[in-house]
Amino acid sequence: MDSIALHAKKLRQGLASIILLAVMSACGSKQVIVQGSFPSPIMEPLPLTLGVLYPDAFTNHEFFDEASGPAEIDWRVNTGAAQVQFWDTLFDGMFERVVHIRNHDDLHQGDDSIDAVIIPSVADLQYTVPTHTNIKIYEIWMRYRFRLVALDAIHDHDNGDLTYNPANSFADWQLSAYGKTPTAFMQSDEAAVNLAAVMALRDAGAHFITSFGRVPEITQWLDSREGLQ
Amino acid sequence: MTKPQAAQRPLIKALLTMGLMAAASVWLGGCVSATVDEMTFMEPTGGIGDSSVVILGRRHASDYDTELDFIQCVGDHIRRGDNSIAVLEEQVFLNSLYPWFEPRTAPLRTQDIAKLFTQQPVADKLAEIKLEYMIWVDGVTIETNSSGSMTCGVGPGGAGCFGFGTWGTSSDYEATIWDFTDQTEVGRISANTSGQSYMPAVVVPIPIIAPVQGTACDSLGDQLLQYLSTEH
Repeated sequence: MDSIALHAKKLRQGLASIILLAVMSACGSKQVIVQGSFPSPIMEPLPLTLGVLYPDAFTNHEFFDEASGPAEIDWRVNTGAAQVQFWDTLFDGMFERVVHIRNHDDLHQGDDSIDAVIIPSVADLQYTVPTHTNIKIYEIWMRYRFRLVALDAIHDHDNGDLTYNPANSFADWQLSAYGKTPTAFMQSDEAAVNLAAVMALRDAGAHFITSFGRVPEITQWLDSREGLQ
Repeated sequence: MTKPQAAQRPLIKALLTMGLMAAASVWLGGCVSATVDEMTFMEPTGGIGDSSVVILGRRHASDYDTELDFIQCVGDHIRRGDNSIAVLEEQVFLNSLYPWFEPRTAPLRTQDIAKLFTQQPVADKLAEIKLEYMIWVDGVTIETNSSGSMTCGVGPGGAGCFGFGTWGTSSDYEATIWDFTDQTEVGRISANTSGQSYMPAVVVPIPIIAPVQGTACDSLGDQLLQYLSTEH
């Protein structure tokens, strides 16, 4: 009899835990810190020395979507670390030499070989999950803005900040990227959104590589460099 | 070993019944009907030697992606059928040739293959892995209909379900075989399967699952084996 009472008690406790978890998950939020491993592009590196400046908003980029009703939940998608990891890998494979500009010392190291400094930013990020669309697909859409500036257009300040005047960019262009992943058995919402974000980053890289030489200002700049050599 | 007490006997009996029902559900399976169409040319009559094959899922449609595990299943089926055929892992292939086989950049027509060879690092990599055949697989498995109802309850004396559910599943896949060396399409194989799954529940639900996607995988895999292997 004790055994049956014990089982019943455990069952009630288990059921209460399940209900509590369900209630908490319905009211709570979901957070994704995007993680992935990114391949280096296979291509002939462009004969350029590229400076790379990641603004704080880029390295700490996150997207927050507040639930608009009781049936929805908050979503926080942190892409900053993955963005830096991905673009570092991509730039290293795409350009002959890459120099990171993070602080005063990097800026004043007297590296005259830097041809241009690229400054990426995430202009927009949108997502959909199956509860939004009734389609069994998770999607991430991103819009990037890239600026190319000369090294001397970047200024440092006493507080350590590096700034630039966007008007001094000699190339300023945007590109979009899209990633999706279908629902899968035993796959959580978070894992699916992470995978969609990884796909979007890969798509961004593919778009960047295939469109870089077609941006009119960059074509003009590359042509003028060839004219000088 | 001590005998179970009288109070524990119903619990043990229930557990045994559940175990037997679960075992029965493994043996039972819903019916699946399959249709396979094949149209292939220029079969490698002497086999593919030490060349390799890659199977890629098409992920270009807005409302579905060909499942990663389906591509894995077809690849495994070919490897099991003839272990002399080198079938490259899809993700390893995509990473080693990034970004030239991403949805945005992948060649979707055989005429696009030549463009890949204009880039020396890509041409070198393709030569290194000795890619002879690239197989695009396009399709998806969907649930077509569902009906029935089931009620489950939990009480101090135990838990159980009662009811009946049924759902249909349909798989529709097409494999397009490209000869990478000749840069031409050498065949198309399609597999369409459908089936009905059932789940009766009297205390314990017993899923009787129709292996629709698995049958499509085996059907497509068998046809690809016949094309690629000298042993089939």
